[in-house]
Amino acid sequence: MSAIEFDHVWYRYSSHQDYALKDVTVTIGKGEIVGVVGPNGAGKTTFAKHINGLLKPDKGLVKVLGRDTKDESVARLSRDVGIIFQNPHHQLFSETVSEEVLFGLKNFDVENPGLVAERVLEDFGLLQYREKPPLSLSGGEKKRLCIASAIAWDPKILVLDEPTVGQDLNNKRQLLDLIVSWSQRGKTAILVSHDMEFLWALNPRILVFSKGRILADGKVDVVFTDEEILHEASLRLPQLAELAAKLGWKNPPRTPSEAAKRILEVKGWPM
Amino acid sequence: MDPRCRLLIALMLFAFSLAFLDLPKVVLVLALVILAGTLSKILRRLAKLQILTGILVAFILVINITIGYSVIYSLTLSLRFLSIVSSTSVFFLTTSPDELEQVLKWLRAPRDVVFAFTTAVRFVPVLMLDLSQIIAAQRSRGLEFEKGNPITRLRKLSPILVPMIVTALLRSNDLAEAIEVRGYGVSKRPTSIYELKFSKYDWSCIVIVVLATAALTFLLIY
Amino acid sequence: MSSNLDLTSGQGCGKPVVIFRDFTFRYRDADEDALRDIDLCFERGGFYLVAGATGSGKTTLLRSMIGLIPHVYEGEYSGEVVVLGKDVRGTQISELARHVGYVFQNPENQIFMFSVERDVAFTLENMGLPPAEIKRRVEWALETTGIKDLRDKAPYELSDGQKQRVAVAGALASEPEILILDEPTSLLDPLTATTVLDFVEGLSKMLNLTVIAVEHRLELLLPKVDFIIALKDGRVVLSGRPRRLFENEVNINRLKAAGIAVPPVVDIYHEVAKRGIKMEKPPMTVDELVSIIKRISPVDR
Repeated sequence: MSAIEFDHVWYRYSSHQDYALKDVTVTIGKGEIVGVVGPNGAGKTTFAKHINGLLKPDKGLVKVLGRDTKDESVARLSRDVGIIFQNPHHQLFSETVSEEVLFGLKNFDVENPGLVAERVLEDFGLLQYREKPPLSLSGGEKKRLCIASAIAWDPKILVLDEPTVGQDLNNKRQLLDLIVSWSQRGKTAILVSHDMEFLWALNPRILVFSKGRILADGKVDVVFTDEEILHEASLRLPQLAELAAKLGWKNPPRTPSEAAKRILEVKGWPM
Repeated sequence: MDPRCRLLIALMLFAFSLAFLDLPKVVLVLALVILAGTLSKILRRLAKLQILTGILVAFILVINITIGYSVIYSLTLSLRFLSIVSSTSVFFLTTSPDELEQVLKWLRAPRDVVFAFTTAVRFVPVLMLDLSQIIAAQRSRGLEFEKGNPITRLRKLSPILVPMIVTALLRSNDLAEAIEVRGYGVSKRPTSIYELKFSKYDWSCIVIVVLATAALTFLLIY
Repeated sequence: MSSNLDLTSGQGCGKPVVIFRDFTFRYRDADEDALRDIDLCFERGGFYLVAGATGSGKTTLLRSMIGLIPHVYEGEYSGEVVVLGKDVRGTQISELARHVGYVFQNPENQIFMFSVERDVAFTLENMGLPPAEIKRRVEWALETTGIKDLRDKAPYELSDGQKQRVAVAGALASEPEILILDEPTSLLDPLTATTVLDFVEGLSKMLNLTVIAVEHRLELLLPKVDFIIALKDGRVVLSGRPRRLFENEVNINRLKAAGIAVPPVVDIYHEVAKRGIKMEKPPMTVDELVSIIKRISPVDR
């Protein structure tokens, strides 16, 4: 059974508007990491909101873990689908950091909520703030708290909207490790992001959205080296992909040191 | 047409709507309101509004009849109400917030009040968007409004209200900075890129409105 | 003077437009200084990139140049900030705003009027300029930012990239000498972000405007700027011309320690150098790297 299945999904916000999703068909397996990219207004967030039933398709079918989203409440779907939206200020409301994490745990009747909250705060380096108000944290920390609060109830699918915004180099590395180990536990991660360099390093499957349609679907090194697709979707090549394209390399390098080795593979350097 | 001219027409219609209480006159005024609506090409939106008001009007009608007023008198009252609402709508449906701001300025309303008013109108849709995103975010964390008794339901408002207040405060903080940086209040006599100017057309319009008012007053009263 | 700090006020700084001297600031009720011992000089016509992790003091630095600090945000203030010859502490924001255009992180929150044209005119109306002069400047600002066809649009009809341009046009209309941009692309998709930054670069050249921009995505802005200033915990850890600074790997590590991601091409430059091949200058774009490789590679001749 797949984790997420979109079958010819059409959706529009009102009858005066154009469809925000047009005939979207895609299947995402358990344990997959998927990067969702595309210009603003291409339908990425609309797509994400279908995964936990916040939006239900006008035409077509969305199945999550085999269940038709039309038959389920948002709350029941959210037990298995943790969605974290872009702006932390749209969700932080508790008096303390640990209560913020407990909110979801209690809503979903998770056992030993106190213990679980403590553990997840520790994993995210936020334990020392547990008695502080969430709004006193820095921008990056607020974002991590939001992600932690969803990881806490241990959903099967995690959907993150622009998770790298406001995160420094170190936090991005931690986030990358977190997502990789998440998927190694057989869990699915969907990342809506503009951060091409981050996605390149993460090496996920990529869905390119443009004007409500899926323009491309494939491994990051195939999709992100296709200049035509990226141009149509208002994206930019990550630098390592651009380098590979311009030097005519078949397999683009994943890291700068790999690229350096490849540059020097040519014989005859005066070393 | 100059927004001040529209304001004048709307005021005239509004005054007539208030002034009379017998059926033929009320019908005549309502017809005039609808004519104004047709001329300003807002008839459709006006009709929509009238349907909404119509429900309320029907309600007034029924109540009036049940408490013993005559059918004609009740009908008059209802139509009068409809005409009052529609006449003010003729102005508000044809006037953009920008023009409204210019009219208020021209009426010498205090600048801070006008600016506070227009800014509020400007940011209502933005805040509504925030609200819908907040609701989406909290529902995604398992918040359910449908469950529980009234007291637990009331407590469920805080996950919505607190972020709403915080977002609004952060936004107003940004706005306060921007107001400073964009020089609001620097000059005691701020100017405007477009000053309101009456054209020949507007003047003739005003003359017609004044004449019509006089004629109608004469006709309807005597 | 250490080699990683080139923009100090003590050193030769062409025609200074902004000078920070031993500037330290702590917000009221804060436990730590937001900025500490800042000693910087910005020259006329320069394009400056201010980099740093969240909370490193970037926005505080910008606020200090327009007088939001200390006139709106109060706190402990020491040292001085001089903008176009005026001490910020003794000058009103409105006076500074005549010469300094400021574009906030979220352009939505600085657009007040219901049409683009009237919003671009907002500052000029506030200054009390005659309508004819306002029209001339608004026309020029709309033309320069390429949004003439948007003049009658309402804010909610605009895309994020368009809002950004409207905000820039509103700042340019007062014909400033300095343009400050706080994370101008954080809400934009990569290609729109590139277009906005290209356009800002063009403005700085065309108008000999001093541009000071905070930006997270270094790879977008590095090829365009003259100078970079890196902040960490309220202190300047690096300042100067990126090409010169990036030659030295110590400086790259300093950036990384400050939580700033360096574009992969710069990393490649140092990885190649470690293996014994020294390219003459660190590249800022992939095109530059490719042309260096083609020039020095033994095979392609």
